[in-house]
Amino acid sequence: MASSLRRDLFGAGVALAAIAALSAVMVSDRRHVAVATAGLVLVLPVVAGVVLGGFLAGAVAVVAGFFAFDVLFIPPYDRLSVGRAANWVALVVYGIVMVIVARVVASLREAQTEAHRNDEVTRQLYRLSDALIARQGLAELLGVVAETIASTFGARWVTVLLPDGEALAQVASAGEAISEEERAALSPAAGRAESLSRSEGAELFTRVALSANGRPVGLVVLAGGALDAHNRDLLHTFANQAALAIERAQLQEQVLHGELLEEVDRWRRALMGAVSHDLRTPLASVKTAVSTLRRDDVELVAEDRGELLALIEEQSDRLARLVTNLLDMTRIEAGTLELRRETAAVADLVAEATLTLGASAGLSSLHTDLPGDLPLVDVDPLVMVQVLANLIDNALVHSPAGTRVEVTAATEGDHVRLAVRDHGPGVPEAEREGIFAMINRRSGAGRAGLGLTIAQTFTEAHGQHIELVSPPGGGASFEVTMALAPVPVEVG
Amino acid sequence: MSKVLVVDDDEALLRALRIGLTARGYEVSLARTGAEGVKQVSLVQPDVIVLDLGLPDMDGADVCRGVRRFSAVPILVLSAAANEERKVAALDLGADDYITKPFGMAELEARLRVALRRGGRAPDSSTELSVGDLDVDLVHHMASVAGHPLELTAKEFDLLAFLARHAGKVCTHHMILAGVWGPGYGSESQYLRVYAHRLRRKLGAHGAMLRTQPGVGYQLVADPA
Repeated sequence: MASSLRRDLFGAGVALAAIAALSAVMVSDRRHVAVATAGLVLVLPVVAGVVLGGFLAGAVAVVAGFFAFDVLFIPPYDRLSVGRAANWVALVVYGIVMVIVARVVASLREAQTEAHRNDEVTRQLYRLSDALIARQGLAELLGVVAETIASTFGARWVTVLLPDGEALAQVASAGEAISEEERAALSPAAGRAESLSRSEGAELFTRVALSANGRPVGLVVLAGGALDAHNRDLLHTFANQAALAIERAQLQEQVLHGELLEEVDRWRRALMGAVSHDLRTPLASVKTAVSTLRRDDVELVAEDRGELLALIEEQSDRLARLVTNLLDMTRIEAGTLELRRETAAVADLVAEATLTLGASAGLSSLHTDLPGDLPLVDVDPLVMVQVLANLIDNALVHSPAGTRVEVTAATEGDHVRLAVRDHGPGVPEAEREGIFAMINRRSGAGRAGLGLTIAQTFTEAHGQHIELVSPPGGGASFEVTMALAPVPVEVG
Repeated sequence: MSKVLVVDDDEALLRALRIGLTARGYEVSLARTGAEGVKQVSLVQPDVIVLDLGLPDMDGADVCRGVRRFSAVPILVLSAAANEERKVAALDLGADDYITKPFGMAELEARLRVALRRGGRAPDSSTELSVGDLDVDLVHHMASVAGHPLELTAKEFDLLAFLARHAGKVCTHHMILAGVWGPGYGSESQYLRVYAHRLRRKLGAHGAMLRTQPGVGYQLVADPA
C-alpha cells in the first residue's frame, strides 16, 4: 500500500514539474502559441503522471494542467475567467480528453500489473507442484510443504498438523521456532477441516485446511507473511495440491507398511520351518532308532544294536546343542543375554568346541593347526565355543569321506582371524550371499541353516565378523574374527 | 523280500532306517539327493519309496513328479509338520501317503504295508473294485460292504468309487474335488467333509476304512486296524 502511494506522489510530482516546465517554455511566447497547441502540449504531463504514478497522479495532473491551461494560455491571461466561447470549448475538450486519457492509461497499467501477478502466481504454483511431485517419503514431503509455504508467503513460521488419534499433531514446521503460547493457540478441533480464516490474538495466524477428495487430511497454520487476496488464492490452491500429495504419500506408506508386515511374517514362518526341521530331524533319527531297539519281534545283531545306540547318543547331543544355541540366540536377540567377555586362548576354544560336538561322526578328519604365538582373545567363551562348534559341525557335514576339515588362525591387526575350511563341494555363487540367512540350508543337511545363522548372530554380538571365503582349490572356508585381549599392564 | 528305497539327506536317519528296516526283512537301498533317488528308482526297481521332502538339490514334490514319469511305485513321503503345503503338493504330484517326523518304526511299517498292498498298480481301471470288505460295481452303480448293499446317492457313490479306485493312496481335497465334482472344483473342501461324514455313517462298522487326513485329504484303506 505504501509503495503505491509513493508511486502516485512520484507520478504527480513528475507531472507537475512537466506542466511547470512546458508552461514556462510556452508562456514566454504565448501570443504566438495557439490555444489548441498549448492544450495538446499539456496532455503530455498528464500521460506521464498516469504512467509513472497511477490514476491518482493523473487526476492531480489533470487538475493542475486544467488550471495552467486556463490561466496561462486562454485569454484573458493570468486569471481564471475565460473570454471567447471558442476558448471555452478548448478548455472543456481539454478537461474531457485529459480525464479519458488518464482513465485509459491507468486501466492499461492495472491490466498489466494483473497479468504480471498472474504470471507470478502460475510460476509459484509450478514451483510448488514440482516440489510436491519430486518427493517420495511422507516425512520429507511434509517438510517440503512447510518450507515452500514459508518461503513463498514470507511467513514467520509455518507448521503442518496431521490427525493423530483424536487430535491434530504437528508433524513438520519451517521458519522460526514456535513459542509455547502459539503452540497452545493452534490446537484446533480434532480432524476437522477448516476454511482459511484468521483467529483472534496478538498476531494473525492463517489456517488452511488440507483436504483431499473431500476428506480432511490435515491443517497448515502460518504466522505473519503478506497474505492479500491473491496470496490467499495461491495458498488455497497449493494447500489442495499438498493435500493430494500428502494423501498419496500416506497411502504409499500404508502399502509399504503392509509389505513390511508381510515380509516379517514370511521370515517368521521361515524361521519356524527351519527350527521345526532342525529339531525334528535329530528327533526322527532318535525315535526311529529307539523304536527299532524296543521291538521284541526283531533280532538285531550286536553291531547294529551298537550303531543304533551310538546314533541315539550322537543325535541327542546334536539336539541338546541346537536347543542351547536357540535359547542363547533368542536371548541375544531379546537383549537379555549379556556377553561375559574374558581373556581366552583360541586353542582352548577350539578344543572345547570339539568336545561339544561329542559323538558326532567324522571328528577324526578334523585337523587343527594354530600358531604357538597366537595372542589371547577377548570373547565370551561359552558363546564363542558355540560359534566354533557350529562352524566345525557345518564343515564336517559337508566333507566327503576321506577329506580333511582344517582349523587355522592368524593375527590380523587388532583381531585374530580363525578359518574353518572343508574340502566339500563349496557353496555355489548364487547361494553365497544368503548363506547366513535363517532360511538357508546349505546343501547336505538341514542343520547347516540354523547353525550358520546362530554363528553369525553370536559373532556380531561380539562386534566381530563372520564370512564365507571360497578358497582356491575348492571347498568352503568360514572365517570368524575375534578381538585381541587387552595386554595386561606389567606390575613391578 | 520287499525292496525299499529311502531318499533322505540326513545321514543319521538313513542309518537308523537302514538298520530298522533291514531287521524287519526289507531290502534297503539309500539315496542322498533327489536326483540320485530318481536314478535309483530305475536301477533297483524298488517296491516302495520312502522320500524326505526336504532334499538339498530338489523339492520332494519334484522328485515325485520325476518318478511318476516312468514308474507307478508307491511313494511314502516324510515331512516335518510345518510343511503342510509341500506335503499336499507332493500328494497331488503322485505321492501315495505321508508320515510326519518324528515317527516310530511300527507306524512306518504299517504305512509301508498299505503302500505295498496298493503295489505299483496304476489307479484301478476295472469295473468291479474290491477294497477289503467293500465291493464297488462301477457298471451298475452299486456298492456293498461285507455283502450288504449300501444305499448311496449318486455323488456319494462317485466319491466312494473314486477313493476305491485309489485305495491305499491319500487323496488330497483338490484331487477328489476335481475327480468327483469336476475340473471346476478344487477348493470347496466343505462339500467333502459333508459327504465323507455321510459315507462313513452308511459304512457303519466299516466307517474306519475311510480315513481323514486332517488338512490334507482322505484315504480308503482295506484294513483300518
